[in-house]
Amino acid sequence: MKKLKTVISLMWIGLSAPLFAGHAEDDWPEPIKTYRTGQVLFDRLEVTRTDNNEDLLVWDMLAWYGGDRNRVYFKSEGENKWDDGEPAELERTELLASHLIAPFWELQGGVGTRGSTASGAERENYLVFSFFGMAPYRFEMDNSVTVNEDGDIAANIEAEYDIRLSQVSYLQPRVELAAALTDAEEYDRPSGFNNIRLGLRYRYELSREFAPYVGVYWSRSLGDKSDQVRDQGGDESETGVVVGIRMWF
Amino acid sequence: MEEPIKPGRRRFIKSAAGAVSALALAKIAPAWAYPLGRSYGDAIRADNAVDLHIRRENLNVGGRLGRPITINGSMPGPLIRLKEGQRARLNVTNALDEDTSIHWHGIILPENMDGVPGVSFPGIRPGETFHYEYDVQQNGTYWYHSHSGLQEQLGHLGPLVIDPADGDIGADREHVIVLSDWTFEDPHEVFRNLTVAEGYYNYQQRTLSDTLADIRGQGLAKTWQDRSMWNQMRMSARDILDVTGSTYTYLMNGRDNATNWTALYKPGEKVRLRIINGSAMSFFDFRIPGLEMTVVSADGQPVKPVTVDEFRIGVAETYDVIVAPKGDRPYTLFAESMDRSGYVRGTLATELGQEAEVPELRPVPERGMAAMGMSHDMGDMGMQSPGGDESGMKGHHGMHDSDDDNMNDNMNNGPQRPSAPDLGIEHAPGGHGPGAAMIARNPVSRLNEPGVGLEGVSHRVLVYGDLVGAHPWPDEREPERDIELHLTGNMERYMWSFDGVKFTEVDGPVQFHHGERLRLIMVNDTMMDHPIHLHGMWMELENGQYPRPRKHTISLKPSEVVSLQISADAPGSWAFHCHLLYHMKAGMFRVVNVS
Repeated sequence: MKKLKTVISLMWIGLSAPLFAGHAEDDWPEPIKTYRTGQVLFDRLEVTRTDNNEDLLVWDMLAWYGGDRNRVYFKSEGENKWDDGEPAELERTELLASHLIAPFWELQGGVGTRGSTASGAERENYLVFSFFGMAPYRFEMDNSVTVNEDGDIAANIEAEYDIRLSQVSYLQPRVELAAALTDAEEYDRPSGFNNIRLGLRYRYELSREFAPYVGVYWSRSLGDKSDQVRDQGGDESETGVVVGIRMWF
Repeated sequence: MEEPIKPGRRRFIKSAAGAVSALALAKIAPAWAYPLGRSYGDAIRADNAVDLHIRRENLNVGGRLGRPITINGSMPGPLIRLKEGQRARLNVTNALDEDTSIHWHGIILPENMDGVPGVSFPGIRPGETFHYEYDVQQNGTYWYHSHSGLQEQLGHLGPLVIDPADGDIGADREHVIVLSDWTFEDPHEVFRNLTVAEGYYNYQQRTLSDTLADIRGQGLAKTWQDRSMWNQMRMSARDILDVTGSTYTYLMNGRDNATNWTALYKPGEKVRLRIINGSAMSFFDFRIPGLEMTVVSADGQPVKPVTVDEFRIGVAETYDVIVAPKGDRPYTLFAESMDRSGYVRGTLATELGQEAEVPELRPVPERGMAAMGMSHDMGDMGMQSPGGDESGMKGHHGMHDSDDDNMNDNMNNGPQRPSAPDLGIEHAPGGHGPGAAMIARNPVSRLNEPGVGLEGVSHRVLVYGDLVGAHPWPDEREPERDIELHLTGNMERYMWSFDGVKFTEVDGPVQFHHGERLRLIMVNDTMMDHPIHLHGMWMELENGQYPRPRKHTISLKPSEVVSLQISADAPGSWAFHCHLLYHMKAGMFRVVNVS
């Protein structure tokens, strides 16, 4: 057991500090050590009131840990209807390995699940690849492609932009576009563009870490999805107001 | 942000002037920063061993309780005064609960006395005493500081002054001025904030109203051109310093603006001020309104006297100036942080309690096109953002360029300066990888520019091009070999490195051959200023002057190229790094091996 521990720790040293860059005796410390840290960020944690007078709790968060180039990400996004006694609906919950491939872009790959959190509910499990980072003009983007167990391919684009109104307040337009490359009948995703959602939030930083906001959104189903929604007696479009908090620690 | 001193308080200070308040002052300021300074002829020399005790303890910092690292009970630590030709004996005892070290910044000494844990020695463990001992072969103004972790940010630093063998300081009196930046936050928290949240400390960003004002002032098309360049680069023109006055209390000899450190002079005296920038992250612009300063030494080494009204002092640099205060009046010693987010002032006065007018902070500067490695007359654009997306900016003649619009005015005021050699740096396609968010495709010498925020000032500002060594240095050989290093960074993720590779990723030291004369060429491929420090050997700056000025720390402006001549005469391993503490911690650090 002790031997194994030694082997593991040697392997770890081998991985984390491949070669010493200077001159030193064996028992000297490294002048500069490898630094790893992490962050938990709730980009949106909000209460939504739709034009159908429904109240929803919505979250969109991520957490990461790692160094400059390689990180592990956990992302979760979903909503729960207020007081309906039903479990929450996961839009995504993903665990990804991430590698910095360009100064502002990470390529991420991992596994995820979406669907109802009810016990016994059939959830959709999938593989996910994300192109995550900041586009020119400072658009924060998370572009992902998912492939589920049936081979259905879907794509999702999220982009945010901060217009700085003062040193601590921002106007943030936001767009989310969902599309399916293949028909996924089981999950109500006809091929083509499925949905677009536009949002606008005004955020005020009480500190860099804690910023309440208010905002509005407009969402609309597209293409065949739109027909599907209409056939099921739903609304093609939805608007709502939100009150929430962006926070990290 | 600064609290004005109330008239009542001022009267009190005045009435208490004299020996009593001098003692009170000495309690807060380190004992060496005694307002009388040192008259020429005083003998406070460390002929015998100096004992230094490193502790973490509660101390009043700018009116609030802080917990700095003290050296012999004070922060900054005691003034160590040595004499050229003596043998220095310094015993450093570690009373912290972690390893520590002292590096003697700018001192030529044996490898194992340089005090860098992991490079020159193992460090000083808790409870241990390390005996430093070396021959002092130089004179001038230097300093010392911890080279362990982020201890420097906690105030683990102090001044080191070496009297010349003949004892002549060229003035009647001298004062040592240590500038530093103090935060009540944990330095590790500061570093994490920089890493996870770009711009965390910058509360001077451009806002929508700045853009609207630009549109009103210069039209939509030009505003769009200006802004789109920065936005395509995903960088900020207001990114001047990473850590700002939003968390820092700037200190002069350990005192803040309210406690006003005071240096006394007698009318008619010539006073030598030894100014040391002991900050972790702050460049300062130093001036004494109403008084011109004659720079006689840079980084401890004598230069031909040059008279200026203001100079910028990079982190870890030192300048000695001689001033001749006229009449019987107080003068403000004013050190403004480069990003104008704060300042620290002291007073040069004939009696304690006097104060002079404190200047306003100047407007927040903005970086111009020169920062991106572009100049007006360039046909094709000099900026390249690696990773595929070429920014393709064309025909931007006449674009707003605060960095060099006013440069010519400034230069017209000053003397004609020779220009540095043209080194013609070419970047290979592909850049430096994801660790470098920018490449200066056409880096140029900027030694005759005063730097961002000082372009338009109407008085004389020191530039590196003004510095002329007081005498030639012993090794006059032409360099046999060039070594080129690029300063690289990715602000968004707080990655800082040389050649796109941080210290923990490089596979060996930078190799100097013992006895060779070499030329070190450095190119700044980032949007920030970096003070680069070589341990163990002097760097002679090729600024077109002869004799070349000698430096231990050289500040590079964005997209600048500099060249330095080095005699590789110090066998062993030496640290070479950016002296911005958090840049060094992020990996902008190399070991130079001389063998």
